Amino acid sequence: MKLLDTIGLGFDNLRRTKLRTFLTTLGVVIGIGALASMISFGTGMQKNITDTFKENDLFTSLYITSKKIDVEEMASGDLDNMANLLKQPSVALTDSTLQEIQCISGVEIAFPEIRFPVKVRFGDHETRTHLQALPAAMRSYKPYNEMMSGEFFDDDTSSTLVIRWETLKQMNLLVQDEIRPKRQSDGDTLNGLSIVRSDSIVGKPIEIVSAALDGSQLPSNPMLSFLNPDRPIIKESVTEFTVSGILQKSGTFSSNRLKGGIIVPLKAAGKIPRLGFSSVWELLGDMDEKNTYNSIYVRMKSMRDMEPVREKIEKMGLHVFSITDQLEEIKRGFLIMDAILGAIGTIALVVAALGIINTMIMSILERTREIGIMKAIGGSEGEIRMIFFIEAGTIGLIGAVFGLILGWIVTRIANMIANAQFLPPGEPSVDFFYFPLWLIFGAVAFSLVISLAAGLYPANRAARVNPVEALRHD
Amino acid sequence: MSLLQISQLSKIYRKGDIQIDALKDITFNVNQGAFVSIVGRSGSGKSTLLNLIGGLDTATSGHIIFNGKDLTRMKRSELAQHRRFSVGMVFQSFNLIPHRSALENVMLALTFGGIPRFQRRERATQLLSRVGLEQRLHHKPAELSGGEAQRVAIARALANSPAMLLPDEPTGNLDSTTAREIINLLQDLNRSQGVTIVMVTHEQDVAISVSSEVIRLLDGQIEQYDQTGEAP
Repeated sequence: MKLLDTIGLGFDNLRRTKLRTFLTTLGVVIGIGALASMISFGTGMQKNITDTFKENDLFTSLYITSKKIDVEEMASGDLDNMANLLKQPSVALTDSTLQEIQCISGVEIAFPEIRFPVKVRFGDHETRTHLQALPAAMRSYKPYNEMMSGEFFDDDTSSTLVIRWETLKQMNLLVQDEIRPKRQSDGDTLNGLSIVRSDSIVGKPIEIVSAALDGSQLPSNPMLSFLNPDRPIIKESVTEFTVSGILQKSGTFSSNRLKGGIIVPLKAAGKIPRLGFSSVWELLGDMDEKNTYNSIYVRMKSMRDMEPVREKIEKMGLHVFSITDQLEEIKRGFLIMDAILGAIGTIALVVAALGIINTMIMSILERTREIGIMKAIGGSEGEIRMIFFIEAGTIGLIGAVFGLILGWIVTRIANMIANAQFLPPGEPSVDFFYFPLWLIFGAVAFSLVISLAAGLYPANRAARVNPVEALRHD
Repeated sequence: MSLLQISQLSKIYRKGDIQIDALKDITFNVNQGAFVSIVGRSGSGKSTLLNLIGGLDTATSGHIIFNGKDLTRMKRSELAQHRRFSVGMVFQSFNLIPHRSALENVMLALTFGGIPRFQRRERATQLLSRVGLEQRLHHKPAELSGGEAQRVAIARALANSPAMLLPDEPTGNLDSTTAREIINLLQDLNRSQGVTIVMVTHEQDVAISVSSEVIRLLDGQIEQYDQTGEAP
């Protein structure tokens, strides 16, 4: 008998007991639906985090510091130790180090990390944020290549800056270029925010207010200055910039907001008077090396370059930190979460499998005589086994397809509720669930395997029906 | 040459400690084109013998050589082939599949026989016409009279052109007129198409009137072997 005919016979049997087939399949649908939505939640969370990592190029980023900062030792308050730590011979991060790193093959770009707190003033609006310095070359990388409005600066020395959408929001400026929905015009959800168009910001002047040491006021013994409040050694200085662009609103999981609310060209940032970490040395009169950096950011051409570059930099006696070190830990956590979620879904599917076994055994008992007839007219054990296998497999396959549809619908609804409940209004919506291709095919394959396994015993039992007894059967 | 050679065939059923000798030391030959009737009281082992020839059951000892091949040495899958192509069984209770029409019942046998889909309908229609049921193709077994149902069963048995038909009390559920028609049909198939028939019946008169040989069984043994002289 041809396979197509065997399939036909299997389908015939399913069609004849429509209600029972429907109910059994419904069991599989629910099982697969539960399994798929559980796993899609796990993968969704994982994807959100890895995507954020990718979006911020964390997989191709290394942070170089001159020495390992042992926070624990620092915190222990042991002054001797601390002094030792500071005295330890270490490679300083200078321009020559930077150049050396830039020459390592696989390095796309390397630049010192400069970040310090500032006040930003735009007209009457003011806020506190961090200034981040970036080379103009970063304009072609994510997320800096996706400007909401205007452009990323193309000159490391120009007095232009890029401001984040979020920073403007902090300043009570809600930039919105799309036509405002009527619902928003009453201002209820936008309490205190003035809605502005981007062209009233881009190209306009902006002031950066930074704190710096006032050299002229610096006494011979710096400690004295703290005792003399009338002569502050720290003064505020204002630098004028022009807004060259507004950076795109970032995702909820994104850590962009930690990176600094305004972005200033690398060389221009150097000219802004500031009180950096290194100023402690400045304060202590250790001004020998002016051009040292606290840390250098290195970006690789691809993820493959990470390890070799890392090794080379470590050989230079520098400390390397990469977020991917943390990622392994995070991944392990997700694996456990996925396993738990998957187990819950699998229980539902096992119950469905028991349903399949039950249905098929019932069906065999009912059809014993029919099986006997089929054997009497020449049906072989293999063919009869195959007919029942196809029945079980069909239930599994249809169950998987509709289970995935059910799972998808459920996750869409859950996602809508989660977005409405947990995210502040105005935030871009987050997809908590993710159906990758492997999940779809995996669910179908898993359902097929489970249902065929469930059909194994019934199908063998059907194949072994004794025709003589079956034909005597009523 | 004999189509079927049975020698020292025994079948013992064991139910717990009880041992039932259904067949004991049966030996006979059936020639090509013969019409053999097996008669005897119920429990004499007639149906067991037919089931063994039909490959539905396996013997305890002895040999059943059909067309040169020994059924007692066949694997289960080979026995399925034997049932499919070599013999056609017909039962007292018809054993049609109730939810399938006459045509579909015959087509099912053709499906097992590996006949391509597009040929099945035509061949099944021919077979049903041969047994006089061209008007009843699409009726379900429940809509057919006993005689018609048995004709469908015969058409089905003939589906894969077997060398031998094995009717087991084919007239047991039929009134005498219908029974006569079925016997006539079998006789016609035997004479015009040369199909060898080994039939189990308890109606001795019928057996003697149509058969070339009559085998009488008693308690699992051949009590009497008659050649009625009508052998071809």
